[in-house]
Amino acid sequence: MKRTLFNFTLVLATLLFAGCATVDRSTSAVPRDTDQEVRIYEVFGMDCPGCHGGLEKLVLRIPAVQAAEANWEQKKLTIAVRPGADLDDADVHEAIRQANFTPGERLQ
Amino acid sequence: MKIRARLFAAALAVAALSAPEAGAAGISVDAGVTPARDRWIVRTMLRSMQRDDDPTGMGRKMEMLVWNNVLAYGLRSNLTLILKQPVRRREISMAGSGATDTGVGDLAVLAKYRLVRRNTRETTFGLAATLQLSAPTGADEFTSDTWDLQPGVYGSFRQGLWATDFSAGYDLNGFSGERDDGREIGNELALDWAAARQFLVGGSADTTLAPVLELSYRKVAADRLSGRRFSNSGEEVLYLSPGVKYTRSSLILEALVQVPVWQNQNGAQVERGTGFLLGLRKMF
Repeated sequence: MKRTLFNFTLVLATLLFAGCATVDRSTSAVPRDTDQEVRIYEVFGMDCPGCHGGLEKLVLRIPAVQAAEANWEQKKLTIAVRPGADLDDADVHEAIRQANFTPGERLQ
Repeated sequence: MKIRARLFAAALAVAALSAPEAGAAGISVDAGVTPARDRWIVRTMLRSMQRDDDPTGMGRKMEMLVWNNVLAYGLRSNLTLILKQPVRRREISMAGSGATDTGVGDLAVLAKYRLVRRNTRETTFGLAATLQLSAPTGADEFTSDTWDLQPGVYGSFRQGLWATDFSAGYDLNGFSGERDDGREIGNELALDWAAARQFLVGGSADTTLAPVLELSYRKVAADRLSGRRFSNSGEEVLYLSPGVKYTRSSLILEALVQVPVWQNQNGAQVERGTGFLLGLRKMF
């Protein structure tokens, strides 16, 4: 029993170290201070920090999207449109649905 | 005659300890919601289970360490394919002597299909059906020798920072094939309920810490040998499991203590003790 507890403590410490060592994504991937077109969409169904990745991955596959950042707490998806490209809202909505979320209004 | 009776009792005792171990699932939060299309999830879990309260006074003990590795892929938004490969280490001891076995368990393939997903501004509800097939690919000490089928249903409901999940599964052990020792392993009913509440860490939406409480019920039917009920098998167990889940972006760490708050063991089986679970999940 003591050995099991020791092993678990060791593994837990390793996992916590791994967790703390992961990349902090608090800095925005979407440029805010340029003339680049930025769109913001409401997204429903995101409810934990782990939800971001799947949605951003799908949205970034749209050729007209240069950068994407989702925030589960604010229920928002922010997209930087590639300069000169024409981004269709329907493509963004489809990507949101493929991520198992529901698109709301376009806020910006 | 006395020696033969003792040998028989010892054989029964070891057979009871060597039975396939069915523990509570653990950290079932998220189970009802299928991941995004093209999303990969790698999950590794280390679980400790033990039986240490011997009603016969023979001092039997069993400790099992299971390292379960899971790979999941969102084939479509409504269909997830999952592979599970456990590695097991089992220590059995009785009256001062013991044995240790280590080896891979049976490989399982699981499909999860989204039945319902309702997302609103305030709530999320998901319901998914699963079908798992376990193939007899494990080491001799840990394989079931049979193809086992497990249908199940998972549900998740979330409101704000609160989450509650439930699941129900039924193991059809020995769905196809036969064990080398002729024993037919009993089917198993599994019911789980979990609740969690997220707290933001450091004011960042990128990191959360969630206390989790799970309630798990297992009912395992007795095994059969040559058409007769194997008396030292089958059980009913209710686990209460407090735990914690730490999420940082696409990485999730989980820890859980599984306490058997009530159990009914058939025959002279050793009672279950407290178990531990540690998990790591990374999403790509």
